[in-house]
Amino acid sequence: MKKTLTTLFAVSAALLVLAQAALAIPAFARKHGFNCNMCHVAYPKLNDWGQRFRDNGYQIPGQQGLEKTVFQTAAPLALRTNAGYSLYGNSDQTAGGFHLYGLDLLSGGVLNKNISYLFIYTPRIDEPAADFSGPGAGDNPWQLAALESAAVVFSNIVRDKLNLRVGRFEPDFHLLSSKRSYYILQPYEIYDFAGTQSSFDFGANQLGLEATGRFKPGLRYALGYINGTGGNPDNNKFNDVYMTLSKVFGPGEGQSAGQRIGVFGYVGWQPTSTGGSIISPLGDLNGMDNRSYYRVGGDISLNWKTFNLEGLAFYGSDNQAFNTVDPTRRYDFWGGVAELDWADAADNRLVASVKYDWVRPPSDNGVHKVDAYSALARYYLGSWSAVNVALHAEFTHRESGSVVRIKDNLITLLIDFAF
Amino acid sequence: MRRTLSLTALPLLVLAAAAVVLIGGQAEQKAPPITQINAQVLGPQPLGPLPPVIHPPGNPPSSAKIQLGKELYFDPRLSADGTVSCATCHDPALGWSDKGPTSEGIHGQLGGRRAPPVSNAAYSPLQFWDGRSPSLEDQAKGPIQNPIEMGNTHEAMIQTVSTISAYEAEFKAVFGTGPITVDQVADAIACFERTVVTTDSRFDRYARGDHKALTPLEKEGLEIFNGKGHCTSCHWGPYFSDGRFHNLGVPPKDPKAPDVGRYAITKDPLDMGAFKTPTVRDASKRAPYLHDGSEKTLESLVDFYDRGGGKDPNLDPLMVPLGLTRHEKAALVAFIRSLDSLNPEVASVKAPALRDLPH
Repeated sequence: MKKTLTTLFAVSAALLVLAQAALAIPAFARKHGFNCNMCHVAYPKLNDWGQRFRDNGYQIPGQQGLEKTVFQTAAPLALRTNAGYSLYGNSDQTAGGFHLYGLDLLSGGVLNKNISYLFIYTPRIDEPAADFSGPGAGDNPWQLAALESAAVVFSNIVRDKLNLRVGRFEPDFHLLSSKRSYYILQPYEIYDFAGTQSSFDFGANQLGLEATGRFKPGLRYALGYINGTGGNPDNNKFNDVYMTLSKVFGPGEGQSAGQRIGVFGYVGWQPTSTGGSIISPLGDLNGMDNRSYYRVGGDISLNWKTFNLEGLAFYGSDNQAFNTVDPTRRYDFWGGVAELDWADAADNRLVASVKYDWVRPPSDNGVHKVDAYSALARYYLGSWSAVNVALHAEFTHRESGSVVRIKDNLITLLIDFAF
Repeated sequence: MRRTLSLTALPLLVLAAAAVVLIGGQAEQKAPPITQINAQVLGPQPLGPLPPVIHPPGNPPSSAKIQLGKELYFDPRLSADGTVSCATCHDPALGWSDKGPTSEGIHGQLGGRRAPPVSNAAYSPLQFWDGRSPSLEDQAKGPIQNPIEMGNTHEAMIQTVSTISAYEAEFKAVFGTGPITVDQVADAIACFERTVVTTDSRFDRYARGDHKALTPLEKEGLEIFNGKGHCTSCHWGPYFSDGRFHNLGVPPKDPKAPDVGRYAITKDPLDMGAFKTPTVRDASKRAPYLHDGSEKTLESLVDFYDRGGGKDPNLDPLMVPLGLTRHEKAALVAFIRSLDSLNPEVASVKAPALRDLPH
């Protein structure tokens, strides 16, 4: 352990030296010459300005048409990767090791006034292991190649009131963005949860189109029409739809100022048979093509000084055709996340957060009940204007099951590098 | 599968087509404002030392013209009652602005806005708080005939200048023979104003590579200025201004007759209550702040921005609460003070032309 920590310290020190010498910054900040926390409270969490920048199609709010396009700037490329050491333990075993937790290659920018794009590619990584979340995380390859985002945004079709996002993107019912969470190892548990045979992943980026806009004062909406299958092809003949409404009280967007409440609803359909084969294991033996599922929930984000308290909870219901536990009834569940973030000290270089995740499946499927308690601290090295390098420490205590409680602990020390 | 595709693709195609038509339509309806506002730069530029001033081809500089412009700039006889010169409201000792909160013209009349700084105005694509003037030459003519500023007419001003013998030779040397014109007066003043450039400050020295030119607190302030403080979303580039117009939510002094700002020129509702971004260079010398002088100190100005500006239905979307700590505010103010010019002061002239002044 001592040797491990010594090694980690040495690597951290070496990267610190590199960070101070480096000049490159992620694509948007580099284009405008801004520091990272023009848009981020601290990377990757967006502040209010950054939220407006994103909503405005990666254009400076109110300044569309008055900035360079990607054809007039340096290559709009960036990457983010995490590497470090994880120590996992439960009642049976303890395991530790170094890991590469993932790699994102990003490109984004303005193509023309009010037309922009975002492209995120995650390459396949076989070794060393990526996406580590404990010994049971799966076999290699640990990160599959994926086009996580590939979307074009048509902004201000009606100024502020109608923007259109087409392609694969992070849908707006993620009022609490898992993509821009400080937590790298511990997911939003409820985002990954669904009925036993449902393939719907609430937290995944989706293929389709989405209309967003805002009305004064502080009212924001999103309407989406998507496959609902993540990055996979859609085998059914119905697409999914969703709607989000949020309202901010006070100035800001609820990210770092103002108080926000939001509600969302999602209705989707999944095939129970394809190509003549029944893919619903217990229900729907007549081979009906599609069965429905829905999610309804709400979000709240409260800001006080340098604290941000966010909460999101939703209720999910999947058709009985996806319920292998009791196919006579729907698979109903609910859960949520509550997170308190604090960013302060030396221009937001020090970030701390605590988080609670819970999942409540149907009583006869209590094995999937989850309570997870997490905490993290991040410290950003070097200049905000050069490159993002954060030292990141994260801890999660996770308990799952209802009758027999399985308890896991995961502690991780890593370097979060964005270039 | 064909039916599935068509069900999915049809609304996509319709919406995409509508987007293209609408966005294309927008571009046709409104000319790109970039050519009107700032032809030199597109989007935020890095902070740094000022580049050399570009003089317009129609008004090339010469030492004689600059000297003549300087004399005219400081000459109160350009006003109706001989009491107000350009320098009265654009005083070098007050950061080329006035003591405020708003400017005082002839007969003690108060304007609704304070005087924008003349220093570095050569870099501003449009002049006046509302940008109604496209050049310094055009701007120089305005206050002379403004009834509450210099209260004169161009004709009366030319008559006065023409009767001052010392000017006669200087105008002849600069512009040749012929009667003195208001354009010549404006050209000379504008030519002088283009020499009022602050090329040296501790920030400029830092930007040129002297890492000791700023204190640690000022360096922290620079980082906040370009990040958490969001200052560079408007105050960018060597001029520390985008030259554009923003509504900061400054409460109107008379709610029944609010100053509409840029809207008076463009009639664009989005410009309602918007005013030009002033440079931050030498800001510490120019209290009070904002177009109406409503913020008395740099500290209160930073507090104003930290709150996200004021309340206004047309508040600029760039205005958001900043969440600055007390220490960060102090760092920001310290950095702004590092932009104070170290260039030699431009003294008020006792120009030859002023020897004829009545005592």
